[in-house]
Amino acid sequence: MADEATKAWAALDRKATAVAEFTLRQYRTRLSTWVVVGCVAVALGTILLFYLQAMSEEVVAVDNDGDASDPDGDGYPTGQEVSLGTDPYFALDHPGNFDPPVAPDPPERWIDEDGPSFSNAVVLDGSTTFGVDDDGDCSGADVPERSKDSNGNGEACDIVLRTTYSGASYMLSDGAVDEDPSEAALLPEVTHRAFLLGYGKLGVVFIVGIFVPLFLASGLIRTEIASGTMHYMLAKPIARGEVLLYRMLGYLTLVWPVSAALVLLSAVVTGLAAPGDGWLRVSDLGLWLAILLATWLALLVYGMLFMTLGVMWRFGIVLAIPFAAWEFGMAFLSMGLPSSPLLRVSVIGWCLSIIDAATRLVWKDHDLFVAYTSDGTVWGSAGPPGEALAFLTSNAPFDLSPTWNIAIAVLVLLLQAGLIWLVGAALFNGKEIA
Amino acid sequence: MMPDLSQVGPAVDPAAPVPVDSKVPAVVFDHVSKTYGRIHALSNINLAISGGVTGILGLNGAGKSTLFNLLMGRCRPSSGEVRLFGIDPWKDPSPYARVGFVPESEKLHDWMTAGDFVATFARLHGLGREQAQAEAERVLTFVGLQENIHSEIGRFSKGMRQRVKIAHALVNDPDLIVLDEPLTGCDPLARTTIMNVVRELGRMGRTVLVSSHILHEIERITEQIVLLHHGQVLALGNVHGIRARLDRIPHRILIHTDDANRLAKTTLDLEHVHGVLLPGEGKVEILTHDLGAVHSALPSLLVNGGFNVHRIDNPDDDLESIIGHLVGGGGA
Amino acid sequence: MLGLPEDADAGTEAADDVRFDEASPVTGASRIEAAWTGQDDGSASVAGAGDASGHVFTQTYLPWSGTLNPRWARNWAVYRHHLAGLVRSGHRPWPVLVRLYLLLVLIGAAADMFPILLSSILGDGASIVSVFGVSRNSLYAHVLGFFPRNILYYPVVTALIVGTMISEDRLNGTSALYFSRPISRLDYVVMKYLAAASVLGLLCIGTLVLFYFAEVLAMGRGWAWVVDTFPLLMAAVAAGGLLVVTYTSLGLGLSSVSTNGYFPAIGLLALVLGTKSLAEIVGLLFEQDVLYLFSPYDALANVGQHLLGIESNYDLPWTWSLVSVVAMNAVALYVLAGRVASMEVTRE
Repeated sequence: MADEATKAWAALDRKATAVAEFTLRQYRTRLSTWVVVGCVAVALGTILLFYLQAMSEEVVAVDNDGDASDPDGDGYPTGQEVSLGTDPYFALDHPGNFDPPVAPDPPERWIDEDGPSFSNAVVLDGSTTFGVDDDGDCSGADVPERSKDSNGNGEACDIVLRTTYSGASYMLSDGAVDEDPSEAALLPEVTHRAFLLGYGKLGVVFIVGIFVPLFLASGLIRTEIASGTMHYMLAKPIARGEVLLYRMLGYLTLVWPVSAALVLLSAVVTGLAAPGDGWLRVSDLGLWLAILLATWLALLVYGMLFMTLGVMWRFGIVLAIPFAAWEFGMAFLSMGLPSSPLLRVSVIGWCLSIIDAATRLVWKDHDLFVAYTSDGTVWGSAGPPGEALAFLTSNAPFDLSPTWNIAIAVLVLLLQAGLIWLVGAALFNGKEIA
Repeated sequence: MMPDLSQVGPAVDPAAPVPVDSKVPAVVFDHVSKTYGRIHALSNINLAISGGVTGILGLNGAGKSTLFNLLMGRCRPSSGEVRLFGIDPWKDPSPYARVGFVPESEKLHDWMTAGDFVATFARLHGLGREQAQAEAERVLTFVGLQENIHSEIGRFSKGMRQRVKIAHALVNDPDLIVLDEPLTGCDPLARTTIMNVVRELGRMGRTVLVSSHILHEIERITEQIVLLHHGQVLALGNVHGIRARLDRIPHRILIHTDDANRLAKTTLDLEHVHGVLLPGEGKVEILTHDLGAVHSALPSLLVNGGFNVHRIDNPDDDLESIIGHLVGGGGA
Repeated sequence: MLGLPEDADAGTEAADDVRFDEASPVTGASRIEAAWTGQDDGSASVAGAGDASGHVFTQTYLPWSGTLNPRWARNWAVYRHHLAGLVRSGHRPWPVLVRLYLLLVLIGAAADMFPILLSSILGDGASIVSVFGVSRNSLYAHVLGFFPRNILYYPVVTALIVGTMISEDRLNGTSALYFSRPISRLDYVVMKYLAAASVLGLLCIGTLVLFYFAEVLAMGRGWAWVVDTFPLLMAAVAAGGLLVVTYTSLGLGLSSVSTNGYFPAIGLLALVLGTKSLAEIVGLLFEQDVLYLFSPYDALANVGQHLLGIESNYDLPWTWSLVSVVAMNAVALYVLAGRVASMEVTRE
């Protein structure tokens, strides 16, 4: 009995390996495989080059709250005069008159002196508070009490983050708290996070996840039928649904490692160029793994779908073209309106939700970070740097922990792939290949 | 394999019935019809075939390829049942383990070597890698391609491609081998090799189905035929037996001799001869209803008359004229 | 093989009744005989059945003296073969799905005409027409709006039409049908190009003109209005023409490279949408607009925005985009010309 079982399994295993190997070798001999992989690599490489260029740019420090200026011309910056109690607009009133006289601060001391601190964030009644007044211009002695708590949450000198019923977040600040962030610390981080999200979602999951199957998977069955070589696989003791599965296996054996290599390369390049301590930033690895998982699942589901469209009828692949265009629209929808229920029936919506959930796992302060960098009040005329990041960040679809969100998304995608396989097998079984 | 130029098939008694195997016949068509829209590709086919080489004959469009497509599960019958070793091939692919199919289309994977091609698809029968490799070499040697095991199929000639396809069909040691027009487009040497292979397989006890519309080649391979015309079985059985049953149309014996006029006068006196023609210089055509009787009387007549005979033919006893008679209803 | 006549004792005597001069009719028999003759007087000779030795005939090919259709008529036949197949059988067969999709796109592309017609029926002139009527923005959107026209309509239609145009001929060797007749390779490729461009032009520019005239008719616009808005229409037509030409060139260039029917279609879509996505990503993340030069859609949009005089949402000068469009067309046409010139007239 066990012998029969092992023999049956061995036979299955051999057939699977045979078809998968054959598929891989067939890919290797075709020019289109290399062209597609090459173009994808070039496209991703181009974006990475832009990233490297952006990371190597000098960041200019901006005095957001203006307290490094000296309007009365007495040589003491406004911030110093305010903190010591003299009048910044009256030239004769300055700390040089104190006994002993206080030396004037260089203006740089009052630029980027009060940046955001997310680490002391506290969640109270559904809203988050954070913020430390580093330069003392809120908690100073001569600031009136009511302006110490201008956002009215009972806490002095803090920032509160609230979400509206539609899901948007907004910040209410107690005046002079975290009002002069360090651009050199924040802007590269903003660019880095925005890049990871944008590159991961649009570059990797979308470009790799849709275009690679469109070129490589749609011909898996269709070209064999069209060229008349399909019967070499079918006139064998192997079920037609099995043939679909094993061809898919061969396709995945090609595209999964290739995409893993691309993602690994991107992770290393961005890890080297990323802002932060150390020469390699490994803390983002979790996000890259999520991007890889989303890409793998996209390659699987789209591959199954396009292969099945090729089975359906000779011109079934025509449907793949508007479908790809549709998924393109869905990708943008998931960033613009992430709560849309339309996304729950699209493939890319679930793939991107994996990345969204992972964002919260990897960057614990991400919500605050996004809210702070996209809030217009702090950043003045230059505009908030985090608008792109805010666009690219979405909430995970379910109000559960990120791990659960990822698990649900993975399950749904596998289910979609299985369903498509069953439909494809049924179609293939009923197809007369005369 | 050296081509065997003595194209003589095994001698079979023309009056003997077609042998029916008592085990499950390899191929059964039970009231099978297949229509494509308004075209009746096959109508009410009843066949049971087992053992030996059987030729499926017919003009183009007679339904030979449709017959094989139904058998190999590539399409399903509009009515009736197809059974391959007792199993419906459309629903269950398991009987293919005992079947080898050589399709008509010449498309192969040109980038593979012959050994690769046969071995890879052998593994779909559940063979392991080394075993498949060994079997591939064995069958490629059997068809005469042992020099080309490691050459790419893209460089092969037509005849070599056909032989690769036959090798691929033989790799799992099948009980039923189906060849769809295996001789199309091959040069004479390749044709002879393939015919020899098919005859060999028949002698080894397998069931072999060969289809063709090149009639004189089929009669070199086998004498058991199924004759299809416009989707119906027109005749079934031994060639000579079929011919013998077409009694109403006279057989002809064509004799090439120097003294045609005298021979004509002499043969008119024979019993069973109902007419003599002189179709050309040096040729005498004898019309008779009883071929056997005339042939037994002929040698003594020729020797006694001292005739110088170059050649004796039975122009009607080949398949072309059989089809012509059955289908066209007229004589040649 | 020449059938030898029974009484073939004629030897090599000239047959008197076969003459080839201006008045003699062009028949098949005389043409064969003309090919075999060795004499200039247009007579035929037949090999004798009883000859023991063989003869070698010098073949003199006489020019065909019939009339050939003018070149434009031949080219029109090619063009008509491609286009008529969309609506009739007996010409180039287009798959049902493609025809259906074209119909849907025709309705979709003409859809901006419906609100105007509706408003004229309802009598509620001002409000609907002020939003949906003819204006710079609506003309621009008709030709170069991104969603849905330049995602779902125009590139996909081009992809479906040009996909098999040349690749099918390369795959099946049916280009021999063209090149064994007096049709030059230039004619062949130009007529195919025009056929594809005609369909796309009808869907893009034809519906644009319909839209314009729908407003004229439905809203009863007078000559003053027409004089005012006609330059806008011309600008939109020019932008549409540029779009049609660019997409067709890119599509045919891809079709001439492949033997598979759907690689060019998918390739065109990948080119248009993929470069657009890349440019969007880089623009979004790094605010660098240089990749918009490499995206056909964005280059066309930039030029179109300038032509129609609406505010540009690209930081690039429109002249650079125009240069990029011209360059893309040049590369595609170069590839196309090279591939067609070297196309083997057999199955490749």
